[in-house]
Amino acid sequence: MSAARRQWAHGLLWISPWIIGTLVFLLIPVGLSAYYALTDYSLIEKPVYIGLDNFREVASDALFWKAIKNTTVYTLGCVVFGSIVSVLIAVLLEQRLRGSGLVRAIVFLPTLIPIVSASIGWLWLYNGQYGLFNTLLRTIGLPTRDWLDDATLAMPSLIVMGLWVVGSAVVICTAALREVPVSLYEAADLDGMGPLTRFRHITLPMISPAILFNAIMAVIWGLQVFAVPIVMTPKDGPGNATLVYSVYVFRNAFEYGRMGYASALAWIQFLLAIAITGLAIWAARRFVHYRGS
Amino acid sequence: MPPGGTNALTLTRRAIVGTTLAAGAAALLWPYTPRDRANVPKGRVELQYWEKWTGIEGLALRRVVDRFNRSQDRIWVHVVPVSDITSKAMVAIGGGDPPDIVGLFSYSVPGYAEARAVMPLDEFASRTPTLRAGSSTSGTPTLRGGSSAPGTPTLRGGSSTGSLDPSLYLPGIRDLLFHEGRQWAGVNTCYTLAMYYNRAMFREIHHDPDSPPRTISELNTLAARLDRPSPDGSGLLERAGFLQNVPGWWNYFWPCMFGGSLYDESTNRATIASPGCIAAFDWLRETAARVGVRAATAFASGYGRNIHSAQDPFISGHMGMIVQGPWLANFIRAVRPDLDYAAAPVPVADALYDPAHPTPPTGLLEADILMIPRGCPHPEEAFEFLLFMQRIDVQEELALAHCKPSPFLRSSPGFLDNHPNRAIRAFDAVAKSPNVQVLPRTTAWKQYADLINKAFDEVWVGADPTTVLTRVQTRGQQLIDAATLRRNQRRGGVP
Repeated sequence: MSAARRQWAHGLLWISPWIIGTLVFLLIPVGLSAYYALTDYSLIEKPVYIGLDNFREVASDALFWKAIKNTTVYTLGCVVFGSIVSVLIAVLLEQRLRGSGLVRAIVFLPTLIPIVSASIGWLWLYNGQYGLFNTLLRTIGLPTRDWLDDATLAMPSLIVMGLWVVGSAVVICTAALREVPVSLYEAADLDGMGPLTRFRHITLPMISPAILFNAIMAVIWGLQVFAVPIVMTPKDGPGNATLVYSVYVFRNAFEYGRMGYASALAWIQFLLAIAITGLAIWAARRFVHYRGS
Repeated sequence: MPPGGTNALTLTRRAIVGTTLAAGAAALLWPYTPRDRANVPKGRVELQYWEKWTGIEGLALRRVVDRFNRSQDRIWVHVVPVSDITSKAMVAIGGGDPPDIVGLFSYSVPGYAEARAVMPLDEFASRTPTLRAGSSTSGTPTLRGGSSAPGTPTLRGGSSTGSLDPSLYLPGIRDLLFHEGRQWAGVNTCYTLAMYYNRAMFREIHHDPDSPPRTISELNTLAARLDRPSPDGSGLLERAGFLQNVPGWWNYFWPCMFGGSLYDESTNRATIASPGCIAAFDWLRETAARVGVRAATAFASGYGRNIHSAQDPFISGHMGMIVQGPWLANFIRAVRPDLDYAAAPVPVADALYDPAHPTPPTGLLEADILMIPRGCPHPEEAFEFLLFMQRIDVQEELALAHCKPSPFLRSSPGFLDNHPNRAIRAFDAVAKSPNVQVLPRTTAWKQYADLINKAFDEVWVGADPTTVLTRVQTRGQQLIDAATLRRNQRRGGVP
């Protein structure tokens, strides 16, 4: 064996765990799910080929559309509010204030808490009878609300809870803020720009790649959200107000015994995620400023 | 170290990598045996038994399994507690690596039976003419002809125990274990629902503590008298007389109190929009309106995560009446043994109650079941264990520990008298009643049940029951028809 071939073989050997893992745990299941999407399959029976029937059924499935709507609302909420909150916190933390280091650690801390534990904690905050939020409302004389049991409030409540894990986005924005050349701010000062104008015309464009990255991550996370709604609203909220797409896929696959239909739903979810991400990147070309481009 | 050479004690990079890899491989390949499986006596066939129970209920099961393990020297049953067992059993069976025996719920029977994912118990009869004659498990099962289900051979023990004689089961239990004329499961305790009530609260409002409500009107009146608003003027409830959304687990239960049923098995039709069901959902809406949707919902969510704990709304004295299963008595014994309570069959619609000729109680009967997955490693041994579990004394031991009624027509002398659940007679009466109902035996049940749950939510906040239930019935029928069509297609068009 030549040295080059031997080197090639060694390389393959060392990355073989990754190759095997990807093949066995990703590519083969992906291929199988594509096949199952075209079958009637309940896991405990052999799949029977039914062509595109599962996809046809999707069109008339009211719960599918409900799940799509809820997931879109959740994702949009997380992206919009998550982006605003993360940028604002990052900018605040970059000010020369006492204790900003501690606050930065506190902001990041929730990302270290397992999401299920955090969800259970938030359940208590939202508790209609004894929750902290309602206690505060009562204290200041305002009417209390059924945060998770009111069809109009359940999804916004989940979105607010989603902001709990904004710490990672804040860290990325903070890093981007520190990369903004000081010379630009000096030039702005010389031109007599106020802080808001400076923020709008210098800071935002300069950190826009970080905002885009955070937004895309939030889109992907939002489209796949599962643990938070299933822990906080195990029955999918009043009138399916919090039934999100991944939960609907899960219920079809493992509760209703419809793995074929669930596979079809999962493929639709995958294609939607790709399309939305692509759309976001395409749209971002107008708004995102890359240095040197 | 000599220049240019290596000392014998020097660790080279190759040695470190090699040692690490060897240690990793050894850890992976080490013939590790979990601690609880290391005690399996040599020569025994080891059965994997998946069961959902933990805590008090799990301990009771372990005692029974230990008894089986001690009773003979051929089989060793290893209990594996499994959460979310329905999903995991489905994955394990579908993946071709099932346990030998699995404890599921009675509503699982139609789906598993139609998929032939579990073994019909009569299959063992045709395979083994005389089952384990001379085995050391008492109640040796043998074959017997004739059956309550046409065409099904009956397995019966040589004694009154260890039998698979369907005529021994309660009629409702028999319905749950059979599908399409064949028995697919053994029973593993059963339960009915009844109305627990706080006797001390009844006395507080000057109501006879031995007179539980018999009609819906009586229930409504008592509930309203027991309601107590929160003293802070928030409009919430400090104490609720009775609410249908607590614990909120059986939203499909209420129609049976009005003579309604969810499904007509003879015609394979969803019947949730029938008059009895609509009347039941009308009653739900009236309750929510009387108490206030906001107050009722906040009350339920306040206790949502505390059911069966010391903060349970009934156990902690924040609810006067609640519809619950027999196991609640176990939790009361554990956390508040001094609670002065009783239980009675649920009240019925006024039109269905005739004080001169009281009808047998109504209610819902469900069961935990044992099934033998197709493709399991030791089906014969699993069947032998299943037979042991069908012994009256074994089921009664479990029922006593779980505070449940017996799944058999006749129970042992003293079973009811010595039962730890002081309200067991109410649950037992419902189980034995000719008016008891079982859940719809269709593979679409879970989806249909979810539709009913959502209908409950809508009606609770004021939607018109007729409109909502008509929509649910239409959608439910579509699901049932689709499930039937799929089943028929798999069988080559044969219904």
